[in-house]
Amino acid sequence: MTSSKPVLAISAIAPIVLLIIMIVFLLGPASSFLQFGVVLPEVSIEKIEFVENEIQATVRNTGPIDVDVVLADVNDRIQPAAIEPDTSLKRFETALVRIPFDWNEGQPYEIGVTISDGTRFAKGIDAAFPALEPNVDLFVFLGTIGFLIGVVPIMIGLLWYPFIKKLGKNTFNFFLAFTMGLLVFLGIDAVIEATEISENHLSSIFNGELLIATVVILSFLALYGIGKQLTKKIEFSKLSQGLAISLMIAIGIGFHNLGEGLAVGAAIALGEVALSTFLIIGFATHNTTEGLAIAAPLTKSKAKIFKMIGLGLIAGVPAIFGCWVGGFSFSPLFTLIFLAIGAGAIFQVVLSIFQYMKEKSDLLSNTSLFAGISAGLIVMYLTSVII
Amino acid sequence: MQSTIQSAKMFYILISIVAVSSLYFVVPSVIIAEETPTTFLTHTGLVIQTTGDVIDPIGYDGEALDFDPDKFMKEFDYGEVTVLDDGTVLREYYITARDDQIMEVSPGVFYNVWTFNDSVPGPTIRATEGDLVRIHFTNEGSKPHSLHFHGIHKAEMDGVFESIGTGGKFTYEFYAEPVGLHLYHCHVHPVEEHINHGLYGAYIVDPKEPREPADEFVFVLNGFDTDFDSENNFYAANTIPFYYQHHPIEINANQNIRAYVVNILEFDAVNNFHLHGTLFHHYPAGTDTVPSGYNDMLTMSQGDRQILEFNYKYPGLYMFHAHNTEFSEKGWVSSFLVKENTGNFDTQIEYDDII
Repeated sequence: MTSSKPVLAISAIAPIVLLIIMIVFLLGPASSFLQFGVVLPEVSIEKIEFVENEIQATVRNTGPIDVDVVLADVNDRIQPAAIEPDTSLKRFETALVRIPFDWNEGQPYEIGVTISDGTRFAKGIDAAFPALEPNVDLFVFLGTIGFLIGVVPIMIGLLWYPFIKKLGKNTFNFFLAFTMGLLVFLGIDAVIEATEISENHLSSIFNGELLIATVVILSFLALYGIGKQLTKKIEFSKLSQGLAISLMIAIGIGFHNLGEGLAVGAAIALGEVALSTFLIIGFATHNTTEGLAIAAPLTKSKAKIFKMIGLGLIAGVPAIFGCWVGGFSFSPLFTLIFLAIGAGAIFQVVLSIFQYMKEKSDLLSNTSLFAGISAGLIVMYLTSVII
Repeated sequence: MQSTIQSAKMFYILISIVAVSSLYFVVPSVIIAEETPTTFLTHTGLVIQTTGDVIDPIGYDGEALDFDPDKFMKEFDYGEVTVLDDGTVLREYYITARDDQIMEVSPGVFYNVWTFNDSVPGPTIRATEGDLVRIHFTNEGSKPHSLHFHGIHKAEMDGVFESIGTGGKFTYEFYAEPVGLHLYHCHVHPVEEHINHGLYGAYIVDPKEPREPADEFVFVLNGFDTDFDSENNFYAANTIPFYYQHHPIEINANQNIRAYVVNILEFDAVNNFHLHGTLFHHYPAGTDTVPSGYNDMLTMSQGDRQILEFNYKYPGLYMFHAHNTEFSEKGWVSSFLVKENTGNFDTQIEYDDII
């Protein structure tokens, strides 16, 4: 065994060494051989902010070659501008283009930059909106929004607990299945939202769709591992498998709400949505169902009130953090990643609930399972229409 | 059990490595603002302070670009002159076409220009009515090119159906007629592409009886579509956007000014010319001796040209530009700096020297 160790090491390293030799060869002696086709530069405008008498655009070199940004324009009209730190952008590097401009609130604008080969890249904004000043007021405002769309509705949803507790076995199964329906919808919703962010804000170089798929699966696997260990620990006390499931649901929804909070905070900061009372009502109604999802598995065990509040906070508070982070420094990549983590977590929770139901009920009632899932999906769809 | 925990640990380590490395993309590069910020005043009066680079083609004060509009606007190619036996003046010109040059068409913007005698526009060809014009054309480009002159000439001298291939030569010969301001350009298909890349120039036929003495300028109104979307990215009088904005043209008050204005703009159907602070008499194609009007606006289609005559009553800085604001805000905006007249008219054309 010991004698074969060096052999083992060599067999592990040999392919890597050969790969490195191939890369060095391709970059070195063979590089001229591979020079064909036209390499096109690409610049993405990631963020546009409107401050007093100035428009600020964050640009990133998302192409395969270095570029020089040499010209800025507003609505395709050349404007003098400053670019920080400088005009040359290496791959992935960002710069801030500052265009002195007396803009009008509520008016659409298109901001463009031209690089040294004369190619212009532009991004439109539906309505100019003064960039939010990072101060205490904004902190409180974003926190309140997060609280209203995250914490409050979940707490309200938890109030269904006494009602579900009084239900018979079949009806209880219906509600668990209903929860599964809700969660499946939330998961799909998160993936779609992440895809939209990928399309609108993330340059193609990040392979947004593949990143979403990767993160969803990784998050699913990670939470599967955590869930397994959690249920094992709880087995000793036989205290409540329901609580474990609820905790998993709360964590999954927590990730989801973090992503949602990031998106909402960013939308506020970028002025992309007129944040109406109506929108808040829509979000709140939608998210009330998340409280129900947490409450349902708890009903077969003795749950204490503070535990339930704790679960509600685990699920809801991330929305507040999301709003803060999204509002103060929006990163499309971050938002996408957290939405994808949320989706993976939620799909894992759906699996947990299913296994739990299979264990608990010897005869798995197909009717209540399918009816529950369908009802959950439909309710989520209807509440989503309100947003 | 032990191995499950270990593999779980490995998994979390992997996740955290991925998370940390993703920060590279998420967090924009940190800007270290140690250097003292420069103050930057725009032409609209807005002020910002920056530690970065200023990109301002309108108030450009950097190094001179390859093409010098100041030189071009007063440079006329009268050709090599010989008087033939019958008394006819023969003017011989040498024009070489190329299509491989990269020129800085606006500060920092490099564009593949196609040139006559290494310049966009090509040289301003100038002759007197009745002169025999002989142009020795060489195509050193990689594509076929030609010279098509506006004016009166034989069909085989029209430069349309006979394109000159790579390395080819052709001698165009015709009498300079009629009197006026004309133009020449490459007429090889696709003509739009050959013109957008810069194959054009002005052609002036002076009357035998010289025009009134004046301070003369050539303005070729052109543009560049640098990203090939059939829309111009840059507009200008004489190639460089905003050039006469940061280098106003100095002229004297109460002195006759004559401007030869040629519109060779592609993609946009109409270009125009608006003069501030005074009005001009204008002569369409310069063919008539009586001005068509007294105005401060000219509307010109592709290939249109006008001779403008005017003078300034008061000294000061006056704009002239496309009244189509899109064009002016993309570079076709210029200015005259009118000085008190000192009575020293040394900028006049001395016609006697030419022949």
